[in-house]
Amino acid sequence: MRKLSVLLILVLVVAALPAFPHSAAKAQAGNTFTYGEYGNPVKLDLADVTDGISALVGLQGCETLTNFDGSTTNPIPNLAKSWTTSDDGLTWKFELVDNAKFTDGTPFNAEAVKYNFDRWQFTTNPAHFAEDVFEYYGTMWGGFDDASIIKSVDVTGDYEVTVTLTAPYGPMLNTLAMPFFCISSPAAIEKNGAQYGTPEVGFVGTGPYKFVEWVSDDHVTLTRNPDYWGEVPGNVDTVVFRIIPDAAARYAALQAGEIDAFEGPNVEDIKAIQGSDSLYIQMRGANNVMYLAFSYRIKEFRDVKVRQAIAMAINRDEIVKAFYPPGAEVATTMLPPSLWGFNKDVPAFKYDPEGAKALLAEAGYPNGFSEVTVLKVGDNNQVTDQVDKTMPLTLYYQPVQRPYNPDGQGIGEAMISYLADIGLQAQLGSVGDWSAYLDERVAGNLTGLYQLGWTGDNGDPDNFLGYFYAKNPVPQEGYYENAQVGQLLLQARTLTDQAQRAAIYNQVEQIQHDEVARIYIAHTGVALAFANRVSGYVVSPTATEYFKTVSVK
Amino acid sequence: MGKYFVRRLVEAIPVIFGVSVLVFMLLHLIPGDPATAMLGERATEENIQGLRRQLGLDKPLYEQYIVWIGRLARGDLGNTVRGNIPVSNEIRNRFPATIELSLAALTLATLFGLPIGVISAVKRNSLIDTASMFAALFGVSIPIFVLGLLLIFLVGVQLGWLPFVGRLSSGVQIGRVTGLYTIDALLDGNWSAFKNAVEHLVLPAVTLATIPLAVIARITRSAMLEVLNQDYIRTAYAKGLRSRTVIVRHGFRNAMLPIVTIIGLQLGTLLSGAVLTETIFSWPGVGKWLFDSIVARDYTIVQTMTLIIAMIYVSVNFAVDVLYAVIDPRIRY
Repeated sequence: MRKLSVLLILVLVVAALPAFPHSAAKAQAGNTFTYGEYGNPVKLDLADVTDGISALVGLQGCETLTNFDGSTTNPIPNLAKSWTTSDDGLTWKFELVDNAKFTDGTPFNAEAVKYNFDRWQFTTNPAHFAEDVFEYYGTMWGGFDDASIIKSVDVTGDYEVTVTLTAPYGPMLNTLAMPFFCISSPAAIEKNGAQYGTPEVGFVGTGPYKFVEWVSDDHVTLTRNPDYWGEVPGNVDTVVFRIIPDAAARYAALQAGEIDAFEGPNVEDIKAIQGSDSLYIQMRGANNVMYLAFSYRIKEFRDVKVRQAIAMAINRDEIVKAFYPPGAEVATTMLPPSLWGFNKDVPAFKYDPEGAKALLAEAGYPNGFSEVTVLKVGDNNQVTDQVDKTMPLTLYYQPVQRPYNPDGQGIGEAMISYLADIGLQAQLGSVGDWSAYLDERVAGNLTGLYQLGWTGDNGDPDNFLGYFYAKNPVPQEGYYENAQVGQLLLQARTLTDQAQRAAIYNQVEQIQHDEVARIYIAHTGVALAFANRVSGYVVSPTATEYFKTVSVK
Repeated sequence: MGKYFVRRLVEAIPVIFGVSVLVFMLLHLIPGDPATAMLGERATEENIQGLRRQLGLDKPLYEQYIVWIGRLARGDLGNTVRGNIPVSNEIRNRFPATIELSLAALTLATLFGLPIGVISAVKRNSLIDTASMFAALFGVSIPIFVLGLLLIFLVGVQLGWLPFVGRLSSGVQIGRVTGLYTIDALLDGNWSAFKNAVEHLVLPAVTLATIPLAVIARITRSAMLEVLNQDYIRTAYAKGLRSRTVIVRHGFRNAMLPIVTIIGLQLGTLLSGAVLTETIFSWPGVGKWLFDSIVARDYTIVQTMTLIIAMIYVSVNFAVDVLYAVIDPRIRY
């Protein structure tokens, strides 16, 4: 028995041996910048993805024709050094840089640009592989083949491409700056086929960093491209993306020196990081919105007084203070204030439960209500007068954390209690996980109030308002219907003069406020945490952040 | 024995087939699909349908099943729905990580669980017994997330004793042979890489080992108690054999059957991946990958991995049964 105990002790000692001051727990010495990512990239062929992680990784080496300028969403030249537009807005001529090379040695030129655009657009293109899903191309350019707003991309010089459109397209330069439209090496795509962008192959671009390796769910390593054509203001030679799914673990990793920066600290940790001597926070400018939508199938919600009462009942100031990171603000319209087209004259709904109760009484509900009447939907997604069913008043909360919604359930519970204060007895509705929630939303089955939001893609108001309301009524927007809003937004999309477009968006925002189309709750930035050894990181509201500006001590 | 092996193999086929059908049906029954998950807030009726067509999800269910199972039968694990990446590559990258962590956790659990269980049984109702069983209860009760984060902040951040992100520090390279970094580093003769790999293994393995350790300790104690009450034990003592001989050779050996079963089951569970531990320690194994794939409704990954996990359980159960025959000569198949 004694021998067994001795054995036990020995085992314990041996097991403890590795514990003593251990090797490289620090982020690498030298000029390595280690960024803690919250998930694995999906693929590094950026045209084939929609997630921000793949985009941030790929963007460091795969470049776009235009870039976003610093912390703004203003497009500036990049691989396209200048451009001209025809008077009718249908023809764009881009002059390209003539000294860029892909990291496989092949030249960047007009042919390479045409190759990429044709590959995305035409489903019959040999490099448009059967498994490819160029979803962002379809969304931003109107569709594939003839449905695309791009009629043709032509090589009109070694370093000149001419893009001909079927209609003027206001967001052109902003869309070109999106990482998903970066220019990959045609030779690399030809060589690797549908495997281009997978962990074994990575990406081949013209950018300041080139792909070294990708170990799934562990890390991606990039190293400096010595032949980069442009300027590299920073001093980083090696970029490592370490994949750390848990936010608390990412914070711990930053404290321990395992990483130099990360995105998305828990809201509770932000204050601690701000108060630390060795760490600091930068906030990406708010480029999103969280809202509470109405299902217009509900008879009670079709009365603007009821919608207004609900808007006045919810204390958005308190919600933002309680649930959102510092710097978040209450939303007055769909557009975040930093976006051009934002109408600063649209007032916020005042929190006024008494006023809300009075409005409800005027609408015929002096005692509030706890049940709602769901109407049937007829042809063309128009809501009819026929009753489908009655059901309890339900507020559906988002089952997953999103950048614009840090705590769907918590916020939902708060909202329910505000509604109860004015006599509206609502219950919290849950619909499975994120995918199930989206399914129900698209089918128009979230018959009640439902939470959702949006993060902007390209710094253009059309990407917010146009995307949601240009075509209405549709099931996924709760059958919201306003023909005037639809027409105005379609018109704004085809104009190229920013002032004219801004005026239209202002008008739409005012209309939506007056009719209480939706209750916009908050805009929030996204926090990034850094170790003091990092400088020069420029945050971007669209998360298009170029590491070439970063320096490490 | 040979006939037994063949019979077990044949019996396994309907089990695996049944699992494949069940998982396929369940996956397609729950709301949401890869198209919706991929499109997120951008989802509209049109782009969902377009994407479904492109991914072949508009075909009848039986056709989709036949395509998948037919490919599998030819050894083709298919490509992920998101990103179109060969599933075999993804598994090859992730499974060794899970195997390494599972083996480490199970080794710790067994190494400590068995002696604790034996000592507790021998010194029944003593302070050691009470303390051990309390510790076992604690191990089983504490949420993995809490334990893991506690260890990270205490051992990793405050004390700085051990790393807690991934399997290796940045920049450490190991030539890949088995994919188990500890073994590969030894094969490489790379002592510092071996040390680095072991350091990264400690915290997640300790976290993951708490539940199996508790279970093994308790089962061992129960099994030993039952055996120690037997007449032959009393006879052995009466014959003048040393205490250690009686307990280990006569007691423990005869108690092993239920213990081996439990260890086998624990191995099966561990090999199917430990989502929580992998998440906290950023361990690139199959557990978190499978969880993420369910959320993303990546049908190919979920269906294929579930089948693989079923096959692992079947194999582990078979191995345990074979071990029975080795341990207990009275058992013959």
